[in-house]
This record gives sequence, structure tokens and C-alpha cells, in this order.
Amino acid sequence: MTFLKPTRRLFLGGALSTAGARLLMPTRARAQTAVALQLSWLHSVQFGGSYIAQDKAYWADAGLEVSLLPGGPNAPVEPPVVAGTALVGISAADYTAAAVNQGAPFKIIGVAMQKNPFAIASLPENPVNSPADLVGKKIGMALANTPVLEALCSINDVDIEQIEVVPTQYDAAPLVQGQVDCLLCWATDLPVAMESQGIESVTMLLADHGYAVHSQTYIATEDSLANRRDQLVALMKGEVMGWQDYHADPEAAAALTVEMFPDAGLDLATQTLQAARQVPLMFSALTEAEGFGWFTDETVAANVETLALLGKPVSPELWDRSILEEVHG
Amino acid sequence: MTTRRPALSRDPAPRAAARSLPRGSGPLLVLLLWEALARATASGFIIAAPSQIVHHLATHAELLLRALGTTGWAALRGFVWGNLAGVLLALAAVLVPRGERLLSTLALLVFCLPLVATGPILRVLYGPGAGPQVTLAALAVYYTTFLPVLVGLRAAPQGWFDLVRSYGRGRMTELREVRLPAALPYLVAGLQIAAPAAFLGAMVGEFTGAERGLGVLTVRALRALDLPATWSIAGLAAAVSMLAFAAVGWLGRRLDLAPPEVLLAPPVVRGRRAWSGLAEAALALGVTLLVWKGSMAVFGLPRFFARRPEDVWSYLVTAPGAGAQRQRLFAALGETLVLAVPGYLAGLLLGAGLALALALRPRLAGAVIPLSIALRSIPIVATAPLIVWALGRGATGSIAVVATMIFFPTLIACQHGLARTPRAVLDLFAVYDASPLLRAQLPAMLPAFFASARMAIPAAILAVTTAEWLATGRGIGALLATVASTSDYGMLWSAIALIGLASVLAHALLASVERRILSRTSAEQLAR
Repeated sequence: MTFLKPTRRLFLGGALSTAGARLLMPTRARAQTAVALQLSWLHSVQFGGSYIAQDKAYWADAGLEVSLLPGGPNAPVEPPVVAGTALVGISAADYTAAAVNQGAPFKIIGVAMQKNPFAIASLPENPVNSPADLVGKKIGMALANTPVLEALCSINDVDIEQIEVVPTQYDAAPLVQGQVDCLLCWATDLPVAMESQGIESVTMLLADHGYAVHSQTYIATEDSLANRRDQLVALMKGEVMGWQDYHADPEAAAALTVEMFPDAGLDLATQTLQAARQVPLMFSALTEAEGFGWFTDETVAANVETLALLGKPVSPELWDRSILEEVHG
Repeated sequence: MTTRRPALSRDPAPRAAARSLPRGSGPLLVLLLWEALARATASGFIIAAPSQIVHHLATHAELLLRALGTTGWAALRGFVWGNLAGVLLALAAVLVPRGERLLSTLALLVFCLPLVATGPILRVLYGPGAGPQVTLAALAVYYTTFLPVLVGLRAAPQGWFDLVRSYGRGRMTELREVRLPAALPYLVAGLQIAAPAAFLGAMVGEFTGAERGLGVLTVRALRALDLPATWSIAGLAAAVSMLAFAAVGWLGRRLDLAPPEVLLAPPVVRGRRAWSGLAEAALALGVTLLVWKGSMAVFGLPRFFARRPEDVWSYLVTAPGAGAQRQRLFAALGETLVLAVPGYLAGLLLGAGLALALALRPRLAGAVIPLSIALRSIPIVATAPLIVWALGRGATGSIAVVATMIFFPTLIACQHGLARTPRAVLDLFAVYDASPLLRAQLPAMLPAFFASARMAIPAAILAVTTAEWLATGRGIGALLATVASTSDYGMLWSAIALIGLASVLAHALLASVERRILSRTSAEQLAR
């Protein structure tokens, strides 16, 4: 008798949950359209809001079955979006501008990072607190980012010839080893890695020194905007809801990320730190007033100006707010 | 007695002490030194201590095993497909000798395609999943199997072919009875070279956007400055590759493959007209362009990132600004060649030299071979920081990276070539107490050496472009990295076309040197 009870309860529970699932089936099965969202990097809390949308079925409830495609060092976002493998890609305004100049039919339909995450990281004993401090320093950076440094120098009247560029990739070791004085990296990436390893660092956000480039932008093709509007609206709606939850509790987002991707080699402490660091980049007075992902004609104008300095001239037409207007409207 | 005792004990004592060290103390000493060095340099984040690696392996065992399973399975599938393709290509080249040039050229060109171009295309073609990883693993091995097997299929004495023909039998009998048995030992060499390459290919394939695997963990560990993790993964990759290498070698010995001994093939006199070479080149170019354009059209790849031959032509020749673009590309190629050529030569000499050294001192193999496999199986993004730290960002570091990448296939191929020295010849030298190295073993090694010199051309280009991307920031490698991140696919495909052209030209140059030398030492290789 003593062992029969729990067994029966388990059985009952099982039967009930099956029944529950049956009851839920109709809503879940309602015309689930499969679409893909191409992320710009390996899975991490950088995309925490999307994971929440997935986990809380914000997309499923809207009839969308979204697969989240991870990026990587050799996984540019633009090709799968052009090819139609992914409905939406996570890019950045400068990458998108370059692609559009090469003939890609993209529009930016939302902006996750209001402030660009690019930063100069240095060590406290030899800090870079302002662009002027860069003079005479050795900076480690991926060569592909040379235009970023050029734009920063041009905005702040710093002679780029006075800075020695050392090509580095992927890690903070050259800074720690003293091969370079500072690194051009994301504020949410290498400085977080260093802090996790117990190394204190100084970060100077480029966005605080006139570098206005939207980052982690949502891009879609003109064709999708014309023919797959419903899917775009549903996808962005899920994103907005996911990121609102993220804003309310970044720590929970970090925990969810680690739980959802046990094979990604993520570490909860680092993810929590990164989750907190990206909040001020993604949420501002503007998103407070208008909602997550929003952009205005003024922020677009500032982007167009910086992008011209980067050698990527674009027109404000690259940004299309119609999807966000439907989402928030 | 008492006066002699100290004299006696003085001499043997140190030796006795050395002998009294327990067996296996050498590796222990190395471990201790390693640990001490790692601890002394801990603040520089350069090397991980053995104790840290063991701790990481122990605390992350499950994660690492799952990742190893994922990557290993993709590598295994790529290994099978790639080697199958390599063998079939070699068979086709022998059965249809007229088509050999064309096949070799196409095989070389596909092998030259850099990851920055193939990665996005494969990901779009396959979608999520392991498809790109398997394909890249296969692409990493087919060429290094194709070449040795092709050499092997020809490594039979002319008399045997004459015998087959005198019975009125055709090519198929020749293939079954003579060529295939002759090729098997060379296949073993190819498979051994392929083992670490397939694993590396699968890991690098994960860079194109994968959920899990050792490649994913490598990127994560490098970025997180997590040295114990990086070194654990590198150790795992090296260990698996060594096991696969040993298993293939064991299987080869187990099957006791006895190749025919090639003695004194008559020198080949070939009356080739100049125009036939040109015609072959034109045909190869035409077919290449057709395959390039056709495959992109068949798969419906968007022009945005899959540029056609005519797009490259317009980008480099007819479009406005083509002159400046051409200049940028050729300047980068120049910078690359300055590093690639010395690295290529250094790697070849190192590989062949080591093979000869191991022939003289076989006991060294126990130390040299595992280290070589390790260097070949760990992704260059993981080893490059160490090389850069040790040798700097200048020419030395890049040349070292190139040499590191190509000396291993050369070493293995040459070793197998050396083993082909006819027993009777070695016995003859032994009778006269003469060293067979220069007059018997070196000539026996030459076909294999030239095969590895061919393999090394694309490998050198791959290595130098990676070093440029990661460390020096110059040349084609840096150009590829920059244009890939700015969607400048016109420049990307132009660079690929130029790299392919340069490889084919280098290949042709090498082939003419090879013909000249082998016509004297190994004429059977040139008989068609």
C-alpha cells in the first residue's frame, strides 16, 4: 500500500499532463510557420531576450516556430538572410551598410543595442579614459575593425598615425601579456572575460565619444518586408516581449541561457556579469518611452553621419520602422 | 684494494645514479618543469599548467565528452567521404590517363577554397546541423589521399604491366592485379595524414555556426582567456588524432601490405609537343569556369555572396575602379608570397629531413611523431597565440606557422616512401657496409616527396593566410578577413580566383621539376 500510492499519483499525474497537453494542442498547432533567426555569434546571454521568447512560447503563441541559428567566427549573418534561410538576422548598422553598398536588399527593422558596444579596454596602470589618451599607444584589434578606429579618431581629432595598430583576434591575452596597451573590443565581451579571470580593466565606450552606430540590429530583406510582414511582426513582437522580460530580470536570462545550452561551455557567473553589462547599452530613456528596439529620425541621422565617416555612406531609408510601429501600436 | 676502490666507484657512480632513476621519470621531469614554468608565468596567461588541465578535464568531463562525440562523429564521416573521394579520383586518373591533368587541377582548386568563402555557402546549403562540418572535414582530407594513392597506383615495375598485356588482358586486370596491391601502402600513408586533418576540418567547420562541439568550445575558451580549457581541448584533439593515426598504422601493418619492389624502370622518353600542354591548360580553365558557374547556378546561390566568374572579371578588369582593386589584390598577394615561399621550403625540408633522420635513428619516432600529430590536429587559432608569443608577429612567426602546417604530411609521406626501398638493394649496401641513404633510400623517397610537395602548396597558402589574419595583419589573409566582414564578396572571389591560379602555376612549376628528376630515379611514375 505504501508504495502503491505514489505510483498511482505518478500515473495520474502523467495522465493529467497528457490530457493537458492535448488541451493545449489546438492553440500550439495553429498554423505553426517555421522561420529562422540568424544570430551573430555563438549562443550566449547576448541573445538572452530571444531565448526567453522561445522558452515562454511568445513566438509559439503567435503561430511562429522560430529556430535560433548560432553564428561563429566564420558565419557571417548576411548570406543566410539574403538566401532566405533566415527570415531575420542580427547584424549591426555598419555591417548592414557595407552589405547594402554591395547590393544586398536589406532594411534595418529594429535596434537591440541603442549604444554601440565597441570599447577600448586597457589596464588601470596604463589607462585609456579618453580618445586623446590613445596617442602613442599600441592598440590590439581585429583588422576588420580598422574603420571603427578611424572613425573614432576623426570624430575626436586624434591623429591615427600616432597609434600603433597590432592585429589581434579573439582574446585579451595580448593586453594581459603586455604586447599591446589597449584593445578594441566589445564592452560586454573581453572586459567581462578579464573580470572573470580576476583582472581589473578600464573600459571606454566609443558611444560616449561620438561613435553612434546601432548595434545588434534586426535586418530583413525588402522582399520579406513586402511579402512576409505577418511573420516579421510576430517575430519582432516575441523579441520585444522577451527583451522586456530580460530587462526585468537579467539574472534569470543568464540562468536560462546556461540551462538551454548545456553544450555551449557557458559559465553562469560570466553570463550573469555579461547580462548586467549589456542592460545600459540596450535600454535607454528612448526605449523606456517608445519600447524595446525603437529608433527615431534623430538617432538614424546620427548613424548616417558616423557611417559616412566609416566610409559606408547610407541613406536614412535603410531604416524601416513600420514593423516596430505595428508591434508597439 | 683500498686505493683502487674510490677510483672504481668514481667512474660508474653517476651512471648508476642515472640508471637508478625509475623508468618513466623522463616524462615526469618534463611535467614538473612544465608545471613550474606555467606557474611562474601565470600572470601572462601564456601556458596552462598540467595540474590546471587535469582539473579542467575532471570538472568538465561530461561537457568535453559530449563535444568530443559531436566533433568526432562529424570528423569520422568526413574522413570516410573524403578518403573515398580521394581514392575514386586517383582511380579515375589512372584509368583515364588523358583526364589526369584536368582532374588534378580541379582537385587542387577545390582544395584551395578558403573557409571564409566555403563557410557561408555550406551553411546556406545545409542549414543548421553537422553538414558543413562533415563537408569541411572531407575537403580537408581528399587531396592528401588522392596524391599518395595516385603515386601508389603507378608504383609497380614495368615488367608486371608487360606481363598483364602479354596475356592479352586490359586495364581492369592491370588495375586489380597490379595497381591496387601496389597502392595499398600508399593509401595507408594517405589515411594516416588524413586522420588529424579530418578532426581539424570538423573543428574548424564548427566556426561556420554550430551549436556544440570542440570547435565551439575552443572559440569560447580562447575568448574567455580560459587557458586550462583551451589546452584541455587541444590535448583532446591531439590525443584523438594520435589514436586514429596509430589505429590506421596498426591496421596497415596487420594487413601486412607488401608492395612490389620497383627496380630499374626504363627512363621515359616523352615527345610532348608544346601545344598539347597549352591545350590541356585551356581545357582545365574552361572546365573550371564551367564548374564554378554551373554549381552556383544549380544550387541557386545568390550572387550577393556567391560571385560568378564574370563578376570577378568585371570586378578586376572592366568595372570602374577595377585598376585600384587589382592593385590592392596584387599588393596583398606579393606580401603573402614573401612569407609563403620560405615557409613552404622550410616545411618541406623539415619534413623530409625528419623522415631521413628517423630512418637513421628509428627510436626518435616515439617522440617526433606524436608531437607532429599534435601540431597538425590543433586548430591554428589555438596554437597561433603561442607561436606569436614565442616568435613575434613578424616574418619568423608566420614562416613558422606555415612550416608547422606542412611538415607533417611531408614527414609521413616521405617515411612511407623510404620504407619502399627494395630489400635487395639494402642488402647489397649492407654487404659492402655502405650507407644506403643517398644512393638507395633518397631516390626511393623521391616520388613520395614530390607528392607531399604538391600537397603542401595549398596547405602553405592556407597556413599563411591564417597567420596573416591572426597575427601579422598583412597580405591576402588579412584582405580576406577584412572583405568577408564588410560583405565585399567581389574582392573575396577575386582573391580566391587569384589564389587558385597561383596554386596551379606553382603546381605546374613543381611538376616540371618533378618530371626532370623522376625520369631518372623513378621512371614508372611517369609512364602513362
